Amino acid sequence: MTFKQVSILCLLSITAISSGCASMGVKPWQRDVLAREDMRFDANPLDAAIDDHMYFSKEASSGGRSFAGGGCGCN
Amino acid sequence: MQLRFETRRAKAADTRRQLMAASCALLGAAAARGEEARMAPADSGLLEDWSVDSALAYYHEDGRIQAIEPVVNIAKLFADGQALNFNVTFDSLTGSSPNGALTSRSAQTFASPSGKSSHAYTTAPGQLPVDPHYQDDRIAVAGTWALPLTRVDQLSVGAKLSDEHDFFSVTVDASIAHDFNEKNTTLSFGISEEFDSLQPIGGAPVAGSDYALFEKTGHKSKNGVGALLGVTQVVTRNWLFEFNLSVDRFKGYLNDPYKITSIIDSAGNTTGYEFESRPDQRTRKSAYWENRVALGRQISTGLALRYMRDDWGVRSDTAQLHLRWSFSNLDRYVEPTFRWYRQTAANFYTPFILSTETRNTPYEASDSRLGAFHALTYGLKYAQKLPGLGGREESELSLRVEYYQQTFDERTATPAALQGLDLYPGLKAVLVQVGWRF
Repeated sequence: MTFKQVSILCLLSITAISSGCASMGVKPWQRDVLAREDMRFDANPLDAAIDDHMYFSKEASSGGRSFAGGGCGCN
Repeated sequence: MQLRFETRRAKAADTRRQLMAASCALLGAAAARGEEARMAPADSGLLEDWSVDSALAYYHEDGRIQAIEPVVNIAKLFADGQALNFNVTFDSLTGSSPNGALTSRSAQTFASPSGKSSHAYTTAPGQLPVDPHYQDDRIAVAGTWALPLTRVDQLSVGAKLSDEHDFFSVTVDASIAHDFNEKNTTLSFGISEEFDSLQPIGGAPVAGSDYALFEKTGHKSKNGVGALLGVTQVVTRNWLFEFNLSVDRFKGYLNDPYKITSIIDSAGNTTGYEFESRPDQRTRKSAYWENRVALGRQISTGLALRYMRDDWGVRSDTAQLHLRWSFSNLDRYVEPTFRWYRQTAANFYTPFILSTETRNTPYEASDSRLGAFHALTYGLKYAQKLPGLGGREESELSLRVEYYQQTFDERTATPAALQGLDLYPGLKAVLVQVGWRF
């Protein structure tokens, strides 16, 4: 499957989910669980940064979660 | 009366803090990632205090390099919603780094990148050629400023400087995020620009030139530009995800100046070496989908999937799963992690050049990072909440251990004389990290 096909498939899925479920989501007073620290995408930013640096220097791919690159001469 | 007033004020502040935390729940969007500061307890009056996140990591490769990496991150969230974040990272690497040459049945002698005879080294027969004098220090500083434009829009700008004795990099980025659907959906868009300057030891080799001629020029540069489009969606009270599409394009000197490729004859004898030669442009595209799901009061999980491809022919798939289990009244948690990664080889990757073979591309590189392999990571983290410092509510001490293993998937047919040698040794590494935040 090509990147274009994957992207289109994902975008269609997201669009379908978003438009098909206008009621998706929660009310402001229902965010107790979502506000938990462990539910944050950046709950452990240093862990992620150290892992990303390791993978950046050992693999051909990087980024995705945020911008790629690494400001490092190791790759 | 005074006591009652103080209590009421503390309760109001606590409620305000909870509401702010709830409204920040969507800030995991790409534009806001990393910029959200942890809030100090409002009732301590330290809302505007800096929060500190620090770690010391030790990385060790089996028989190769080792690194020590201290990192400090400080963040401050202002009452008006602005956030500042600064990060300082230091790396110190020592050990042996593969130079790209193929393992041989004969001893191989190499010059050091500087050409100094005192740093020449010899690799024994049957051993992977590695430069035993590898040593590098790096310092990187980064800053991010997040600024709310309206109640539902946020601008974020950042900059990063990274300096090594043979490499200097500057990156700037800017992102904008927009909340809608009662802040259940966040759309974000960001761009980044990277400027790299390379001053390799002994000069930058002429790509594809004969190693014996030691043709080197002065410093080189490469520049990159990237864009990222992301959506973060709250699905239910217990599930949210983010989906990002990103593209980046790098131009300039994209070679590793310290990597060479062996030239062998049909009998398997090494007859010479060439400096690697990569294309001077590279475009990468990726799709990334990350989920967070709460499975109860004490357990949550995260699953991240990534597909990436570039115009060098590399395609990769990544899946990472973690589970966080909190216990002891949520004062402690353990977090096992598993990551699976697979990539195909770049079109021009070759572990060696066969001197009798006609080459149909001007490019070649034996850098194993451009080969086809899969990698597994097993990780475990333990964290313990401790009393806070300086009036803060709490601090956290953590220990994290990871084991990383790379295994080659495709092996090029080799002359009979080389069979039995470990030409694709793979990689095994351990990471140990101690973290402290307050």
